[in-house]
Amino acid sequence: MATSCRSLALLRIFLAKSKPAARCIHTESKVTNSLVREKRNALFESEKQRQLSLVSRIEKIEVQYKGQPEDCTLVMNKNLSTPFNCAMHIEEVVMSRSVLALVNGEPWDMHRPLKESCQLHFMHFEDENPTLANEAFWRSCSFMLGYVLETAFKEQHYVQLCSFPVPNVRSGSFVYDADLGLEDWRPNSIELNTLSRTGFKLFFKEYRFERLKVDASVALNMFADNRFKTTQIPSIASRSESGSTVTVYRMGDHVDITGGPLISNTGQLGRFNVTAFHDIESSSYGPLTRVQGTALPVQLPMHYWSYENIIAKRAQKLNTAPVPELKQAQPLQSSAS
Amino acid sequence: MLRFRIRTRPRKMASLEGLGSGPEGRLKRLRKHVTALIRHERLETTYAQCDETRGYAEKLITMAVRNGDRDKHTMEMADYWLLEKDLIHKLFKVLVPRYQSLPATATSIHRISTEYPGDGRHMGVLELKGNPWPPVRPQPRNTRLHLHNIQLEEAKKEYHQERLRAKSAAAAVPPEGSSVDGPAGSSVDPDPIDSESESGESKNSGDSSKR
Repeated sequence: MATSCRSLALLRIFLAKSKPAARCIHTESKVTNSLVREKRNALFESEKQRQLSLVSRIEKIEVQYKGQPEDCTLVMNKNLSTPFNCAMHIEEVVMSRSVLALVNGEPWDMHRPLKESCQLHFMHFEDENPTLANEAFWRSCSFMLGYVLETAFKEQHYVQLCSFPVPNVRSGSFVYDADLGLEDWRPNSIELNTLSRTGFKLFFKEYRFERLKVDASVALNMFADNRFKTTQIPSIASRSESGSTVTVYRMGDHVDITGGPLISNTGQLGRFNVTAFHDIESSSYGPLTRVQGTALPVQLPMHYWSYENIIAKRAQKLNTAPVPELKQAQPLQSSAS
Repeated sequence: MLRFRIRTRPRKMASLEGLGSGPEGRLKRLRKHVTALIRHERLETTYAQCDETRGYAEKLITMAVRNGDRDKHTMEMADYWLLEKDLIHKLFKVLVPRYQSLPATATSIHRISTEYPGDGRHMGVLELKGNPWPPVRPQPRNTRLHLHNIQLEEAKKEYHQERLRAKSAAAAVPPEGSSVDGPAGSSVDPDPIDSESESGESKNSGDSSKR
């Protein structure tokens, strides 16, 4: 308790000090990752509150749960209750181990509000067929790798995340392509360890993955300081169902664009290693760094020998996922028809 | 012919039906067990009795399958081993069609845990195959699609592919090239991380130095 109070006090001092500095930096038109992240987080929070305020009347829905320990019907709140809330009513094991929910057979984030009466089923990593959970985990790991890259470096290095490919568990490594703002830098083993530990510390934080659908204009505002995402957002929005929305996720104070679904929270991370940095060349974005890592969920423990000598070593090889290219935004007419 | 291993000598079981009941008592108990097995299709008793009963039950079923219900000797044996006579019909009408084309034993035997607190006997379960009861052993879970198993399987595949490539590269390299750095290369083990041609050469040179 005492330590948390102290850290809070320290944080306040830091914020008080950083505010005038932030103004100063803005006047010098110098952006740092921490300032950008703060702004993104604030925008996400305000947009989330705005969307919550739209739910003025609480309506009830019936959720039919099928699975262990027994089938049951729950009465939940429309547009407020999440599958996680349902799991809280069922059993602690179901609540803590569930990675994904299946709502009427459709993969659904654990912390995404339910929209209508539905059938509910939970998935975890030791299911008979955990393919969907594995993919969500790999995608979340790419997401967390983005967090590591944005937070681990010193303030003078402005890291701009580009994108990560479709998760492929069989490739042995998850990927985030980014512009690190560092020239000819290769991490040594100690630096790789530091990056890995930055990622693994998320396990203790137990951050939830929150999903939010925002308008393209809000997303553009959020990612205004990222030269890759600003160009990607129009094409992502044009390919969405409504033609102008972008799905954004938040983990702690880290906000990023991804279609999802992602896992429930970072407490499900068992091992996390950043393994390699490779140079790649994209025709639309120019030179980028492909950062690779490997991870295992806490539900699947593994002996350190096989993990370090087989899995982490394999993850050092260049991942052959396609290099990120800018997709052209679809014209409005075709998306309307 | 029995399709499982049996002890060379039968167990004596001298006092199965009370002290001093002798060989007659043994047979009496085994007939009860065979009857119960055909009746209920699953039997739980000491492992030794299960094992002993198995031989007789299996032989009876094999004879019934082979000879049918027209054979005099078979019918006599069924009459002797089955104390409840309605089971003779079950043997020929239900079990013979069930095991007609089974290329294995008709019974299966399992060891189960010793009762505690108890007298420490090793317990077993003897059952007819295709019985309606839930399985004695739980179905093994399929863990091939678990994340760590997928990764280990892919790593294994990659390792074997690399070895094959290294082998084919070694076969393609001419022998003159390898003899140049023969003694130096032979002392170093081929590293799996090396590129294919390098590891191939070192392997080849190792072979040549042996010759």
